[in-house]
Amino acid sequence: MSDLDRAIAQLRACRPIPEAQVRELCHKARELLIEEGNVVTVKAPVTICGDIHGQFHDLMELFRVGGDVPDTNYLFMGDFVDRGFYSLESFLLLLCLKVRYPDRMTLIRGNHESRQITTVYGFYDECLRKYGSANVWRYCCEVFDYLALGAIVLGASTALEPSKQNVPASAASTQDDVDSDIEIEVLSHDGSIIQKFPRGKARGLIGQNNSAAKRSSSPAAKTGPPGTGASGWSRGSTGSSSGAVLCVHGGLSPLIDGVDKIRLLDRKQEVPHEGAMCDLLWSDPDEIDGWGLSPRGAGFLFGADIVKVFNHANDLSMIARAHQLVMEGFKEMFDNSIVTVWSAPNYCYRCGNVAAILELGEDGMGESAHARSNGDVNRSDGGIMKENERVLLAGPARRYRVFQAAPQDSRGMPAKKPVADYFL
Amino acid sequence: MSAPQIPNLLGLRGGPRSRGSRGRGRGRGGGSELVTPSQQRKDLDIQSTDTDAAVSRLSAVSLGYLDDPFASYFVTGPGTRRLPIINRGTYTRTTALDILINAFLAPHDASHPESQSPPQPKQIISLGAGTDTRYFRLRAQNRHQNLIYHEFDFPSVSTGKLRLVSSNETLANQDPAANLFVQPNKASAETPESEWGFTRTAADGRSEVLYCCHPLDLRRLPYTPSLKSLGDIHGLRDDVPTLIISECCLCYLDVDNAQDVIKWFVDRIPSLGIILYEPIGVDDPFGQMMVANLAARNITMPTVKVYKRLGDQKQRISDLGFKKTSADGGQEAEAVDRIWENWITPQEKERVDDLEGLDEVEEWQMLARHYAVVWGWKGSSGWENWKTFQQK
Ligand SMILES: C[S@@+](CC[C@H](N)C(=O)[O-])C[C@H]1O[C@@H](n2cnc3c(N)ncnc32)[C@H](O)[C@@H]1O
Repeated sequence: MSDLDRAIAQLRACRPIPEAQVRELCHKARELLIEEGNVVTVKAPVTICGDIHGQFHDLMELFRVGGDVPDTNYLFMGDFVDRGFYSLESFLLLLCLKVRYPDRMTLIRGNHESRQITTVYGFYDECLRKYGSANVWRYCCEVFDYLALGAIVLGASTALEPSKQNVPASAASTQDDVDSDIEIEVLSHDGSIIQKFPRGKARGLIGQNNSAAKRSSSPAAKTGPPGTGASGWSRGSTGSSSGAVLCVHGGLSPLIDGVDKIRLLDRKQEVPHEGAMCDLLWSDPDEIDGWGLSPRGAGFLFGADIVKVFNHANDLSMIARAHQLVMEGFKEMFDNSIVTVWSAPNYCYRCGNVAAILELGEDGMGESAHARSNGDVNRSDGGIMKENERVLLAGPARRYRVFQAAPQDSRGMPAKKPVADYFL
Repeated sequence: MSAPQIPNLLGLRGGPRSRGSRGRGRGRGGGSELVTPSQQRKDLDIQSTDTDAAVSRLSAVSLGYLDDPFASYFVTGPGTRRLPIINRGTYTRTTALDILINAFLAPHDASHPESQSPPQPKQIISLGAGTDTRYFRLRAQNRHQNLIYHEFDFPSVSTGKLRLVSSNETLANQDPAANLFVQPNKASAETPESEWGFTRTAADGRSEVLYCCHPLDLRRLPYTPSLKSLGDIHGLRDDVPTLIISECCLCYLDVDNAQDVIKWFVDRIPSLGIILYEPIGVDDPFGQMMVANLAARNITMPTVKVYKRLGDQKQRISDLGFKKTSADGGQEAEAVDRIWENWITPQEKERVDDLEGLDEVEEWQMLARHYAVVWGWKGSSGWENWKTFQQK
């Protein structure tokens, strides 16, 4: 067993590794990350995850639900640290896995991967508490500076493969009808189907009401997705390969009209307070026209028109992003042109939300068409078919797995009751 | 905790007005003579919420959200830095109450300057005041001169506050005209703890109460024979406009018990107002998690299960006589997210936002939606400013 495998085993048990080992790990990680472009090219199949926020036991739950590394390829869209009690263990485990399986793990930067934010939201204090000095925090922050700003997923299939995960007998019968027609499938943590939406019928789908996945009674489940349609855009017909999916932590920037512009940024620095790099990590989609000011004080709000124009201009079928808590774990907006994926269940041990991960299957066109590269691939690669102007590329078939917080007893909470703060 | 700090819980027993079936809580009227250890522990856990409030206050003060030179006196040690959303919430809650209380205390008619007629005295009754610093803040602004300020809390909490105040030069002696008094507790003969506060000598030579802390388990107030009339509580007056504040206090009482406590004052003071600050909205996942998390701390908030929305809270105090239908009454309620949006000026919002930045916008909105400020009034004088209080 290599040192790295030992470290992984130790971290999986939620035990921090020694400072010297952290230093070495961070050094190796930096060497790896420095070779990645600002926008990493990732080949489907891949499982896309949103914010983790130091909720280590829920990250373990995520791996249970989504499959273990290296069997499943993962793309984490940032915000590994802060808020939860185990930012250190969570981030170091992900980093170990990245170093151990570089082609199967993609980590991109979230707005919490920053010196300034981590001193306010907990990661700094946690490092100080667990190591007695800020060294480990400093090593981690140096890694943060090298994390990619985004990723492009190529070769995602427009048809769903049958779920590989443990399908309960009850769900198996519904599993084998013609899945090529299914655009979106929502599964609960045990693999049973909560909802399915045939292609074209999923428009306007905004988050699911995963009542079956919820701990207790929930407000009345919404019926099927209302086709709010009525946009000037139409979707390309079902093909075997979808348009590419851009993954960023926050969203778009008014300073960035193309993915290539992201590639030109100088990313190896602390997250600036403004500018394109800041926006990518801080912005949010919103029901507005054009651009708006963000209530977060950094980044911008952007409307459906912005997303559609951007996707069209960049041969994207979809943007996947994280950054915003959504109670149902995921939320598609703007005629399915953007999705928020949130992977921290019961966020801050307080919010009562479920979490989700997004699986994109492979289109079966083979490795050659779009080998994984480190970002210098021409974006028109990868079997993207643009049929004609003002036609949105067919979206990939999407399988969301929804899960809840790990059960309390599995998490060996620290003794001094880490109960969330309320106003008392 | 040392023995004398354990509160007298005999008051949990059923009072003379024991009233059949309306879902009285266990422990009162249940026929049990002794308070169980688990109930005692529960009371200690409820009292410990004051530490939460004090630490949150100090956090908001240290970071510049609030200006309160007294906050640090009531927290031992350096305090804990709270998260930005908690600090913003503490700020909004305190500011909302300040706005309502200032409107209550302000003379209502600017065309009659204070110099011409003596200003109308007013009274504030803070239920479960804990180590709240509000009285000292008002005093530091010299706004305590025409004010009688009462605080109620468990004997252990009240006594702890006395210890801090009496040993602190600023708190004990800030007003040279005021004298600290400590006297046997008239309100509950069974309780050895003293009531205490400040008096001053009035122009006619009599001593008048400025501030009085009553060590009392409020649950007993409506059901204790020795607490029948207003005069049974030292310094309490019925002839001045009076404002009751429950800043996260009555939410810990059983619903009927809480109503009976308010009613005790309603039945005895004609010109009365009330401000409640408590959680609402437990019927969504966030609210359910709040209930579960607090239960893990052994804290239950019975009122939150009954008054789920702003409308329920308004109905609650309307039923107590703070009615809109009568000419001299009314009631309002607002959730803290809306108060932040609408009551705080843009400049002030910008100042507060700049203190730490607030990344967790969705979480803030969700958290703040689950807390409400509810206020109501009845009586012919003293509420003019509240009647015209415009929710922007
Ligand atoms: C969360 S603290 C709030 C303190 C203060 N009002 C503030 O907002 O800073 C609740 C207070 O209510 C008091 N309290 C709760 N139940 C009470 C009761 N039955 N009688 C007297 N005080 C009570 C507690 O002891 C505690 O000091």
